[in-house]
Amino acid sequence: MTDVLETVGRFARSTVLLRMLGLVSAGVYAACIVWVHAVQPRTVAEVRGGVAATVGAYTIDRPAFDDGLRAFRADQFPEARRAFGRADPAGRDPMTQYYVAYSYLREGWGRFYEDDALYQQGAAALQRAVAASPGGVVTVDDPDLTLKSSDALAEAFARGQRREPADFNPLRVLGRRP
Amino acid sequence: MNAAADRRAAWHESFTLPLVFLTVTLLGGLRIDADGGLRFLVPPLMALVLAVMLVAAIYRAGAFVPAALVHDTRSRLENAGGLVVVATMWTAATQVVNTLTPEAGLLAFAVNVAWLVLFTNTLAVRPDRARLLASLLVVFGAAFVVKYVLLGAIYAPEGGATRRVALALLEGVSLGTLAYAPPGPATGYVAFVAVLLFLGGVAALPRVPSRTAGTIVVASAVTGAIVEVSGPSEGTDPYDRR
Repeated sequence: MTDVLETVGRFARSTVLLRMLGLVSAGVYAACIVWVHAVQPRTVAEVRGGVAATVGAYTIDRPAFDDGLRAFRADQFPEARRAFGRADPAGRDPMTQYYVAYSYLREGWGRFYEDDALYQQGAAALQRAVAASPGGVVTVDDPDLTLKSSDALAEAFARGQRREPADFNPLRVLGRRP
Repeated sequence: MNAAADRRAAWHESFTLPLVFLTVTLLGGLRIDADGGLRFLVPPLMALVLAVMLVAAIYRAGAFVPAALVHDTRSRLENAGGLVVVATMWTAATQVVNTLTPEAGLLAFAVNVAWLVLFTNTLAVRPDRARLLASLLVVFGAAFVVKYVLLGAIYAPEGGATRRVALALLEGVSLGTLAYAPPGPATGYVAFVAVLLFLGGVAALPRVPSRTAGTIVVASAVTGAIVEVSGPSEGTDPYDRR
């Protein structure tokens, strides 16, 4: 036992361990630099959230998310997005980003036309949701939502921004809000 | 070289130099806009080329001795650490050039040409280590002042005293359509730290390789030539800055 401890002590004091630790720390640091250049976080919160998500430690602020959900269901979409922003400051939670995207869809949807600017912001939020989702697809089981998957939502955004003859169909005014 | 000096050398090569150069790599690409938004710029190809020339100039001046970091007489682990130092120094040089050069347009072209001429001139002149460091300090300082103080002030959307002074000095000269998007004020502070760290890292590069089997490899600080000197090495410290 003493011999083992002595060997470990000698190794700990040797420059070999120091050099190995140096290589590891430089490798981790370099990986972080490559990561920030690849992911391009826009804020310090996104950097923190991204690092936490990488190690599986990222969580959203649940009360803020619930606030957002209440506002979303009351059709107060800007307020809902503010609350969702507080809940998921790094934009790394698929579910929250899905609701953000959906809020743009509902706010931009109209019986006579769709708001392209809002739809574009919604599509961007949906991209964040899909990027943060491990499977590349987000599915939300919420009876309040007509479109329950990221694929359906993406198609709604794309269709809304396309100009096609169906846009001039007068029966559109009878359509159901998504 | 005794155990303490060995440990100091190992610490220096394994932690201090790579972490300093990696920090420069990170900060050199960071841009912070006026609203606090972050952007991490990948260096353009020209910055990579200029960084090679800069590292070559540092080598020719004797400030960087490859044999002090990678050599047959060193262990694989030591050589791996040495390679990390060399690689990180090059990435740091890339980002220093990147942070001191305007990002696009005619100004970027002009500054890149200036870098090319300055680094070629430094390679041709072959200054010694001290003169090279002094020269880099002046050149980087001038580039910093041009990009972050002068151009930053002239193109600042809100204007200011520096802008009025600069435009008064350039009386009769029109900037015309010379487009330039000034970085946020915080970027200047980040760039300042990055440049100083880079120069500190270059100054701290080991110049005399470690002892191996009773032989010391000595590098001439002026010519970059390597001379092997056999003899007792006890007490020799490669990080002795005398």
